[in-house]
Amino acid sequence: MRFFFLVSLGTLMALSLLAWKLEPRFAPTGKTPLVWVSDDNPQRKLQIATFNAQSKSSALRLDPNNSGMQKIIVQSLAGVGPDLFDTNAANLPVMVAADVAWDITDELKKRGIALEREVWPSTLPLIRCNGRFYGVPANACTNALFINKKLFDKAGLPYPSGPWTWEQFLPLAQKLTIRDARGKPQQFGFLMDWWTWPQFVIQWGGQVYSDDGTRCTLDSPEAIAGVQFLHDLIYKYKVMPSPVEEAAMATQGGWGAGSITQFGGNRAAMGFGGRWWLCTLRKKEQFPGLSLTVAEAPHHKERVFLAYGRTTAINKQSPRREQALEYLLHMTGPAFNQGINAQADALAAFPKYCEGERYLHNPEFPEEDKNDVWRDVMAAGKPNPPSPFISSQLADRIMGRQLDLVKNDQKPVADALKAAASEINAEIQKTLQRDPELKKRYDTLKNLSPAPLPGARPSLGKGSSS
Amino acid sequence: MKRRQLAIALPFILPNLLGFMLFTAGPVLFSLCIAFSNWNLMRSVPFAWTGLENFVTLWHDKDFWLYFANTLYFLIGMPFAIAGSLALALLLSQKIKGLVVYRTLLYLPSFTSGVALMILWKALYNPDFGPINYAIEALGLHAPQWLLSTQNIVGLGVEKVGFDAKQLGLGARDAIIIMGVWTAIGGSNMLLYLAALTNVPQDLTEAAELDGANRWQVFRNVTWPQLAPTTFFITVMSFIGGLQGGFEQARVMTGGGPAGTTTTLSYYIYTKAFEEFQIGYASAISWVLFSIIFVITVINWKFGNKEVAY
Amino acid sequence: MKKIFPHLLLIAIAATSLLPFLWMVLASFKPLAEVEKLNPLPTVWHPENYKKVFEQVPFARYYFNSVFVAAWVTFLTCLTSALAGFGFARLQWPGRDKVFQLYLGTMMIPGVVTMIPNYTLMVKLHLLDSYQGLIVPAAFSAFGTFLMRQFLLTIPPALEEAAELDGASPWQVFWDVILPLAKPGMVTLAIFTFMGNYGSFFWPLVLIKSEHLRTLPIGMLFFDSIYGRQTNLIMAASVMNIIPLVILFVTCQRFLVKGIQLGAVKG
Repeated sequence: MRFFFLVSLGTLMALSLLAWKLEPRFAPTGKTPLVWVSDDNPQRKLQIATFNAQSKSSALRLDPNNSGMQKIIVQSLAGVGPDLFDTNAANLPVMVAADVAWDITDELKKRGIALEREVWPSTLPLIRCNGRFYGVPANACTNALFINKKLFDKAGLPYPSGPWTWEQFLPLAQKLTIRDARGKPQQFGFLMDWWTWPQFVIQWGGQVYSDDGTRCTLDSPEAIAGVQFLHDLIYKYKVMPSPVEEAAMATQGGWGAGSITQFGGNRAAMGFGGRWWLCTLRKKEQFPGLSLTVAEAPHHKERVFLAYGRTTAINKQSPRREQALEYLLHMTGPAFNQGINAQADALAAFPKYCEGERYLHNPEFPEEDKNDVWRDVMAAGKPNPPSPFISSQLADRIMGRQLDLVKNDQKPVADALKAAASEINAEIQKTLQRDPELKKRYDTLKNLSPAPLPGARPSLGKGSSS
Repeated sequence: MKRRQLAIALPFILPNLLGFMLFTAGPVLFSLCIAFSNWNLMRSVPFAWTGLENFVTLWHDKDFWLYFANTLYFLIGMPFAIAGSLALALLLSQKIKGLVVYRTLLYLPSFTSGVALMILWKALYNPDFGPINYAIEALGLHAPQWLLSTQNIVGLGVEKVGFDAKQLGLGARDAIIIMGVWTAIGGSNMLLYLAALTNVPQDLTEAAELDGANRWQVFRNVTWPQLAPTTFFITVMSFIGGLQGGFEQARVMTGGGPAGTTTTLSYYIYTKAFEEFQIGYASAISWVLFSIIFVITVINWKFGNKEVAY
Repeated sequence: MKKIFPHLLLIAIAATSLLPFLWMVLASFKPLAEVEKLNPLPTVWHPENYKKVFEQVPFARYYFNSVFVAAWVTFLTCLTSALAGFGFARLQWPGRDKVFQLYLGTMMIPGVVTMIPNYTLMVKLHLLDSYQGLIVPAAFSAFGTFLMRQFLLTIPPALEEAAELDGASPWQVFWDVILPLAKPGMVTLAIFTFMGNYGSFFWPLVLIKSEHLRTLPIGMLFFDSIYGRQTNLIMAASVMNIIPLVILFVTCQRFLVKGIQLGAVKG
């Protein structure tokens, strides 16, 4: 028995040695290794290669992490965090509050970079919090309509072009929705990622939160009307799949969510998505014969489009944060931004790179001849600011639960949104009780005139994605 | 003398005891303490002792009660799993040929349970291409939407704990319960029953049969009482396991949805602690959960069989 | 004749418990487009699905990590549990029964209670994102101690009394007399511990960030979400995930059945 234990111990020791040997060693000697937590989009590899090729002092490597913000925060606070991480408008305030995001306002000023003038205005919430800068936007996006040319041709319909309204859109979508005799859908007129629902709120003139962020305003008539229309697309006009129909269609693989691959699989004539859908849709081997073009998405009262994007920030707790800055500076330059546009990782966050022949007509993808549309809708982008007075995770959970009910047609839209708003507002009050700092800010805002100073609050856009 | 005894015993006990103190007993005490604080991983809120505040919040937390109801709902599968295990054990105990083969096959689901099987079931439950609904539709029945539906067999409301006729049907929770019963039925419980059945004295059953009792009567009056300690033990353990459960299913199969209907208390604790960073509050919930488990175990003990020896 | 009915019933039930596995194996050989079709057999077999799993994620690494971590945990648990079990079952010392009750009591506490403090402890000890962080906290099991104690109590004391008369020290008694007799109990504990850790989901999920430290359950989840739903590949990964368990079970089931019936608890 003693012998057996010793042998086991010996084997395990040998395995440990092996494990230690197998530990990946990164970065060639002489360069500072920088770890960047981002998603696993294949495009990251190219972005890293571009940077590593031109940097003399640093070597970037990816830590693909799909479990998000929580781990970055706890790991950073524990001293094992990454040097750079990706975040979005909803999460940035959390990162700032947790003391994980590094304030680079002064560093930018020193180098004469005025991001507030250089990036798409609607991406500012991605990088700015309480008037200070914490990152550089990696990309920017507003959705447009992908058009499946083949399905349009088959129905003998002309490809739409904007600007146009949802009322004009409906008959077209209905003509393109095909069901069999049993009522089982064969093809849908319209598809979208459900998480872009705030698009409808803002187009109908509503907002998820009040301007100062002190109150959830999903119970406003505008917000209700917007979500009602979204609901009607599924249950009244029946041009968009219900969750059940969607699950029935979902199996195809590929990077990204179901809608992209369903659209690519010819299951819908129009797909409401971002330019980053192309990262997947360009794969000819996965979507043989797919031929597409793009049109501006319809609008309602206001011709605005939900803006979102990804931002890269520096871990304040990292001992290599000065070196990490080099990457953020690289992100303001042409190599990076032209790369973003060429890879279709949405749109470069700097409008100056979304001009000219190089952007409008990528010789590698001659069929993508509507790049001007992406730029034009981006200019009409509007962020969807979350409230600084509630954890966005919690708010998402509350809204998610109510919207689940709307999506499944189990609760009237007005009831669901009113319930969500009142629950969120109650949570805001609870948060204020817990946090005297926030309470002070809240009271100041409440006592101010209804029109808040621009930039006096973190105004934020919502979104995950590319 | 005592000191000598301790000197001999200590080297045996100590390695385990130290680890136990550090990773079990210590954390238990620690979490009890922070349940009375506002500890938040976000540094925005200064740390403070808040007394019973977390527990008061909990009392008024609508979500807590919903998720508690979910947790209890998931116990519905328990009697089916136990009865199924017993039935299988009875079948197998009839000196049947190929016992080992059957036992192996039946135990397989329980042995391999885990993330891989949950992903598998997620595919099986797919409303359209999943084989389960295919079979149901082939029988000409109306197929449920399984993991996408908030419906349940007792009509538990979605947003408040109560009855809602619209919710009657089969949904996500039932899907998870069925999977649980499938996993558990041939597992350890069956083996326990099998062992207990071999210990039922043969002469007792034979005597009963000689007295003209039919099989059911033999089971009811002879076998079942003999199995009582085992049944009791299994019930207690199932309650403990069931009340703690649901995390992996929620994380892997449903994300806690639709509309929060598959969120159990243990998944709620996870979201509070690791997504919203309210560690103090999450600890309070876990202690409430522990208290519930404790109370139920004590009740089981009081009203259950007293012959069970540990 | 009388015996046919139970056989039929058992075969039906066994089939129910096997069908999902069968579906899984068959789906793992199908092309993606066919997974959603209901033909049970793939029209063309695609064994290369298995190769693709290794290409898309470092699956071999996940495999190694799962086995490596589970093996260490099993080794340490068996060692510490046997030692402590001996201390509780065979040695007299003041406060023994009190301490044992404490052990028993904690077995009722939900894992989530200790998870948060344990996580903070790992942060303090700088063991986040490391093998040690996966192994060490799992290596001291109250359940294991309980199981070993119960088992050692069933060994007749006459043997060790004889050894003691011959002048053997407690250590010699432990290693040379008790442990060889405790082998079935040990094997049971080893299997349970290995199995429990091999499938362990929660702890690695919160603890591990580096790709090269991911274990199978975490790796598979990652696979499910990021690369879309390539159901056929997920099924191939699942098959490979459970193969070691099936082998372990088939070879050790004799011990297991005894062990479960003895310890009367699932690990």
